[in-house]
Amino acid sequence: MVLEGGDFSFSPLSPHQTRLWCSAPTLPLMPPTKSTLQGMLHKYIVSLAAGISDCTRFWCEILTLSLGGRIQNLPGLPHVLQRSCGGKIIKRPGGEDESPMIGDKVYVHYKGKLASGKKFDSSRDRNEPFVFSLGKGQVIKAWDIGVATMKKGEICYLLCKPEYAYGSAGSAPKIPSNATLFFEVELLDFKGEDLFEDGGIIRRIKRKGEGYSNPNEGATVEIHLEGFCGGTRFDCKDVKFIVGEGEDHDIPIGIDKALEKMQRGEHCILYLAPRYGFGEAGKPKYGIQANMELVYEVTLKSFEKAKESWEMDTKEKLEQAAVVKEKGTMYFKDVREQTERFSAGSSSLFFFAPSQEGKYLQAVIQYGKIVSWLEMEYGLSEKESKASDSFLLAAFLNLAMCYLKLREYTKAVECCDKALGLDQDNEKGLYRRGEARLLMNEFELAKCDFQKVLEVNPQNKAAKSQISVCQKKTKEHNERDRRIYANMFTKFAERDAKEAASKTRVEKVAERAACEKGSKTDAEDAEGHV
Amino acid sequence: MQEYGRSEFSMPEEQRQTTMAVDELQAIIQRCQILEEADFKGEDFNLFQVAGQKCLEDGYAAQLLEVIQNEKNKVIIKNMGWNLISPLVRCIFMYKREDDKREHCLKILEQLAQLCNPKELFLGLLEQIEQTSGERVCQTVMLLLQPLQIVLLKLQNKKAYSVGLSLAMIMNQLTPLPVPYTKQQIQEDKLGLCQCCNAVVDFTKPFVNEVVKNMEKSSEYNDTELKEELLKFCMKSLKYPLLTAQLEELEGVDEHPFRHFAAEIIDILWDIKELIPLVFLHRKSKNPEWENQEFADIEQKNIADSLACLSYLMVVQHFGIECFPMVFSPSYLLQCNMANIEVLLKRTEESVLSKGLDLFESCLLRMEDNSLLHQYLEFRDFINVPQDLVKVMTLCPIEHLRKKSLNILQLYIDKFDTEGKHTLFRCLLKTSNHAGVEGYVIKNIKDQIHLSLTKACDNTWFTGHHLISLLDLVFLLPEGAETDLLQHSDSIMASLNLLRYLVIKDCESDNQTGVWTMIPRIEQHFLKPLHVGLNMSKAHYEAEIKNKKENKKEAQSPNTVCSVTVSGEKMPAMTTEMQLQVLHSALFTFDLIESVLARVEELIEVKIKAVMDENS
Repeated sequence: MVLEGGDFSFSPLSPHQTRLWCSAPTLPLMPPTKSTLQGMLHKYIVSLAAGISDCTRFWCEILTLSLGGRIQNLPGLPHVLQRSCGGKIIKRPGGEDESPMIGDKVYVHYKGKLASGKKFDSSRDRNEPFVFSLGKGQVIKAWDIGVATMKKGEICYLLCKPEYAYGSAGSAPKIPSNATLFFEVELLDFKGEDLFEDGGIIRRIKRKGEGYSNPNEGATVEIHLEGFCGGTRFDCKDVKFIVGEGEDHDIPIGIDKALEKMQRGEHCILYLAPRYGFGEAGKPKYGIQANMELVYEVTLKSFEKAKESWEMDTKEKLEQAAVVKEKGTMYFKDVREQTERFSAGSSSLFFFAPSQEGKYLQAVIQYGKIVSWLEMEYGLSEKESKASDSFLLAAFLNLAMCYLKLREYTKAVECCDKALGLDQDNEKGLYRRGEARLLMNEFELAKCDFQKVLEVNPQNKAAKSQISVCQKKTKEHNERDRRIYANMFTKFAERDAKEAASKTRVEKVAERAACEKGSKTDAEDAEGHV
Repeated sequence: MQEYGRSEFSMPEEQRQTTMAVDELQAIIQRCQILEEADFKGEDFNLFQVAGQKCLEDGYAAQLLEVIQNEKNKVIIKNMGWNLISPLVRCIFMYKREDDKREHCLKILEQLAQLCNPKELFLGLLEQIEQTSGERVCQTVMLLLQPLQIVLLKLQNKKAYSVGLSLAMIMNQLTPLPVPYTKQQIQEDKLGLCQCCNAVVDFTKPFVNEVVKNMEKSSEYNDTELKEELLKFCMKSLKYPLLTAQLEELEGVDEHPFRHFAAEIIDILWDIKELIPLVFLHRKSKNPEWENQEFADIEQKNIADSLACLSYLMVVQHFGIECFPMVFSPSYLLQCNMANIEVLLKRTEESVLSKGLDLFESCLLRMEDNSLLHQYLEFRDFINVPQDLVKVMTLCPIEHLRKKSLNILQLYIDKFDTEGKHTLFRCLLKTSNHAGVEGYVIKNIKDQIHLSLTKACDNTWFTGHHLISLLDLVFLLPEGAETDLLQHSDSIMASLNLLRYLVIKDCESDNQTGVWTMIPRIEQHFLKPLHVGLNMSKAHYEAEIKNKKENKKEAQSPNTVCSVTVSGEKMPAMTTEMQLQVLHSALFTFDLIESVLARVEELIEVKIKAVMDENS
């Protein structure tokens, strides 16, 4: 057999290595008999040869050869499928049965040749697997179709007709117009899409949605969902809600987040880490314990986007701010009640730890809306400005509280700073900043905050006791430090001596530089006199 | 001392008298030779420098060279040599190219690089580069690159940081220099920038090799510092000089210096394995160092310029094409580049703007007509870029760029599927604010209608109710009868032509396009106000002409109410004759509009009548 270029290490395929996918317009999906198979092969070769090129002939030879072998020792009937994009032959079947799904991150090695046999590209030459998202139109069509049928570890040949590759336009400078492309592809690995690159939500798409627009925060969505935990289904419903408020329907925050990356009509499976699921609190209603991983199957049936900030006028923003504030507070309080209930100690629910981060995430979303709408709003009337400031102050204070609960202390301090920017003597703002700083081990700063609280309100007992906590902690801290550093002093002393020595050298250099400058000015003066 | 001198030098008799400077140098050298390294005093450094400088200034470079080369003085030179860099550089520029003394000075520089303490010499060299400016920048940089490289390779600590510092310093010094643009300027290379850039790339090569070697050694090689520094250098180079440089191949220039430079930069990026991630993954600058949002934004902007230039080099000029995966779909390529195109089109410099247009064109030429799905318009860039293109078309002072951008707009329109075209037309009609562009879009709408009427293919977007929603935007006077007809004449004429086409092509009985359904609306919102507007405008201009003619006899006083400037030049005040001419041409335009309007109305009337006759 003649192989132009001879770059593909090709050996006649043994029947066990080969499976055939070919394109014949009228192919029955039933397993064909030997004779129909030969007939189909003939048809296929004719249809391929219709766009005659060297590569096509080469392709046909492979087909004949492989099929010939197969037909002779037919252990079962070959798996034949209809493909109009070109063809695919499996050179080495993959080890596992699963194929990649739409949106999966796919790792392949490949070599590409033109009809002339000229190699135009190879990931092996680059010594780096090629990575892309499957089924998203990132690669030529033949690849999106072909790779989706591969199994992990499989090596196959792909024949891509021009209309499934670069078409009449070609792709300068390597791919000429109307080129049939020939690839050898090895599927190294694939994995679900990691939506936030933190391993928290993995998505695998079963059916692609339409278009490219996604619901935003606050959009109204209609979805169908099924929730699984440890293999048992705990939830199945059709539901309509606002993104960010899934909690109202016992839907975990991870679904809200994932919806913002879905398209209309999309059907996908979502793997949620506990922090995107029901977290430490679990979900008694569904009998879900603390820190469980969840699997959801979600179909986004339709959605209506929420208005972006720039689409709203001031009046609308202020009206919505009131609604959203209420909503946020509801999430916030809800958690508190739940916690109290748990701590009261109902024995049947003993395994549910009191919630630490139950609905605070949801509350953050609501309060965050106020900030995004009003923080940068200019040109307000005096009345509006007053209303806006009071909303913002409440939002920042509540956000600070949420972040304290979520143990995100830096963010809590940031929010307090902003609240105090609006009202510098705000008791809650000062107290919460103190709390956050205390938890960040910034005792002195924390103490200052609590002292300011007392200046504003001398009756604040909590602040008083916090001050003594600060003092105690500072003391403990200092003592610990002293112990740690005690035996380091000798070492320091040695190092200091060394540093002093090198310093004198640095000084020397500096002196020299100074001298140089001095001499330079001298020289200039002299020139001047001459 | 003379004895010593004799043993050390073999200098001609007559020079001995005049070698005060050399003698002084000898004196200090002699004193230091017996000292331990640690015992050198500040005073010694000072004396050595003064004497050395004097030697150089008095022209005894050869003698100084001998002192430096003397094995016995190794320790002294190691410690004190760096002090000579500044006077040395001054001297080198003083002498002519073929002067022996210059040669000696260069030798000294070479020796110092080998012998001196790397840390101090490094600072000395950097200081020289920092202090130069203007025309001397490139010369100085090129002079000092080699010693700098030697020193950096010898540095033990903070090497990556020092390489980064050197490259940043050099690039900062080069950045204010104008980039040669025309063929003549490039060949002349007056300031030596072209040569200098390529010298800097050569300078980086050993460091690139080091990074490559380290990466090969282990995949988890953690010290990415040097790599980061090289990456920064590449990004900087892409922004300056490459973004503003002329990168087309030039006839008669074999080795285009900037193309060479570009190829080298891309090679570096490839070698350090950053090329593909840069082009396709769009590194978000997740730089936690920048707490301040403002800094992060600036950083992002800088990167955007560099990335845009990189894409231009790869997609348009095919640099690094061998590393470019040939399996990406053309649509995806366009999508990846839209942000880059947007960055470039927002600029006004010819060199940058033309790169943006070339990049856009090149991405579009890879696609088949009608193959771009309308869903892509859901990406903001796909809507923003054509608007930027329109701005270039209407506001750019450079004619060939205006023409090119119009061609590209057409190309862009052609690539979309029919729904995409429909959306794009709506967007352009709403946002262009320019009658010429509107006229052009209306002409395109007409072509699409023609296609859907003549071809058998089912095209729902340019017939029926979808078309009507588009036509509502076409048959419209923005301010009713008060619209400035002269200013909007282009779009009005195009609309009338379209209407004429529709009325002729589509029978009322078929009403394929749906235009007949909306005739009453068109009459109400377009034709009627147009009539009124025409009458008012004509009356106004005729009165104006009459006025002008009468005034002409009375006063010739140049009472210019305002002045007009076109691309910075003040236009001369118009004479009354010219004013009259303009007024007449306006009248002519109105006549033209009126005649087409009359024809259209006639056609409508005839057709409606025909149908009515048929029915009765």
